[in-house]
Amino acid sequence: MVATPKPTPAEGPGAVSRHFVSDFEDWRIVTVHQLQHYLRTNRFFGLLTFVAVISALTLSFEVSAGVAAVRVEQLYRSSEYLSNYLSNAGLWIILAAAFFGGDALSVDFSTGAGYYMLVLPVRRSVLLAGRYTAAVLVTLAIAGVYYVFATAGAVYFFGGASVPWAGLAESLGVSALFALAALSVAFCVSSFFRSPAAGVLVTVLALYVGFVTLATVFELAGIEPWFSLQYAGGAIDAVLDTDFIHQQTVPLGADQYYIVWVATVVEGIEIMAAYIAAFLPLSVYLYHRKESTG
Amino acid sequence: MGSFEVTGVTKWFRPGSPVLSDLTFRYDGAGAIGYLGPNGSGKTTTLKLLVGLLRPSRGHATLNGIDPMVDRKRALWDVGALIESPEPYPTLNVFEALETVGRARGLASRDVDREVDRCNELLHLPPFGERIGWLSKGQRQRVALASALIGDPSVMLLDEPTSGLDPAERVLVRALLNRLKRDHLILMSSHQMFEVTEVCDQVVFLHAGQILLRERVDRVEDRIRSRQLDVEFAAPVEPGRVSALRPLAVEIVPRSDRRWRISFDGTNETRIQILRRCQEIGEVVQFSSASLVLEEAYLELIDTSEEAT
Repeated sequence: MVATPKPTPAEGPGAVSRHFVSDFEDWRIVTVHQLQHYLRTNRFFGLLTFVAVISALTLSFEVSAGVAAVRVEQLYRSSEYLSNYLSNAGLWIILAAAFFGGDALSVDFSTGAGYYMLVLPVRRSVLLAGRYTAAVLVTLAIAGVYYVFATAGAVYFFGGASVPWAGLAESLGVSALFALAALSVAFCVSSFFRSPAAGVLVTVLALYVGFVTLATVFELAGIEPWFSLQYAGGAIDAVLDTDFIHQQTVPLGADQYYIVWVATVVEGIEIMAAYIAAFLPLSVYLYHRKESTG
Repeated sequence: MGSFEVTGVTKWFRPGSPVLSDLTFRYDGAGAIGYLGPNGSGKTTTLKLLVGLLRPSRGHATLNGIDPMVDRKRALWDVGALIESPEPYPTLNVFEALETVGRARGLASRDVDREVDRCNELLHLPPFGERIGWLSKGQRQRVALASALIGDPSVMLLDEPTSGLDPAERVLVRALLNRLKRDHLILMSSHQMFEVTEVCDQVVFLHAGQILLRERVDRVEDRIRSRQLDVEFAAPVEPGRVSALRPLAVEIVPRSDRRWRISFDGTNETRIQILRRCQEIGEVVQFSSASLVLEEAYLELIDTSEEAT
């Protein structure tokens, strides 16, 4: 049993005293440190600009189509409009998670960043927690921009009074959970790889390309893709979908059908929670075990 | 006062080829220890094991009595480390990079400012608002050194601390280390023998993952005899007269008409005879080892070790 180091008293003029820092304080220090970094990176500005431009273009096309046309298309429902608009939110969250989580840990073993941070008196699990928190906040900032445009569109086409604010907040909550799940996977990938670029790429490939492909294959085989995080992301817009259908049979030809599943809100939340429970502890374990051999 | 210890530490990255073999040493109190050895001898690996960046394959390392593999936070609490080339995030400025270190070492905001100012006085840091990504290699190295000093930890592990610095900066850092070693414990790896001679009280020679010699710097001279002498006469001496030294010397090289470098077998007997002959040749104003004793010791130890294997 090792006693907690005593505070270092100040001795002599100009000397400074130190106190033993709690894990909570360490977490706060690391989160601020990581946020200072993320918010100045080109990838943050790039992704933010990209989301804003795409959202603005989408909105401008709709505006040019006219209020009446959009209302008819969205069944005269603000919630339907929001649900459709937010069906792409998962993609932005996955991209942001890959950009900010894909190299969050591997950076310590591929650059000199680890020799700066890993020699500080901070537990690795706390370092990971701080970086994870910062990555979640930045990812939500990116998703938030998309939500702002979605809300602006809903207000413009259907009026402020018709916007389902509670449903919108619920969708934002599911998005936050989705971000936690996507970042858990990204951190796990990052703790496994040594190259930051590989971490980012593998996260995108796994979470988006891989899952979409697998989900399609499974759906063609008539199996619900419950294992896919990308599938679980459907809960983000399902919250606002007033005509929600969990399972749809699409005829392909004579006696041929194709079944399409959309995750229910509860199902989506369960899948996301399962991802967090599986991947976050694994990334803590791998990060804790990793050595600076470079 | 701090301490560091490695006990029976063996480290291999591939089974059968250990980088360190059964390494054991302990230092406590204050002073500077030079950690010397050729590239690949295991110097940086030892430092990494001490701070928990690597896990020993066998044995254990402790800092201030605490194993970093057991409790990293407490082990590193009173330790400043500069290993390899630490790089703060390039997007942060100098102050932000150092502030994080100061806060993690338990300094209050006001004290962080004072500590960063103190480091600035000691190391002439780049402007605080300058981003790390914009700094030169030398500037970055000074920021990294400052990060090891912030909070005044009692133990400092420095891996080639003057790497990337210009001559003036090296002088500055050597003077700083000489001040710090009075009340701090410093383990410093270096290839600069002059630096180690000037700063360190003790040396550990490492080769192929094993300790060849642990000794006080001033006692290394007793073990390792310099094999080159510089002789300076008060007046110019003709080469013909210096040739009288031939039977004692391996090589005689003129440096000027008054100064000569004499290579010999390194024994004290020959050294005495050379001095006598030189005094017969002319008035001697300087008679000294031509190269750094530590450097010769290093080379001799490595040679002996390689011959033995």
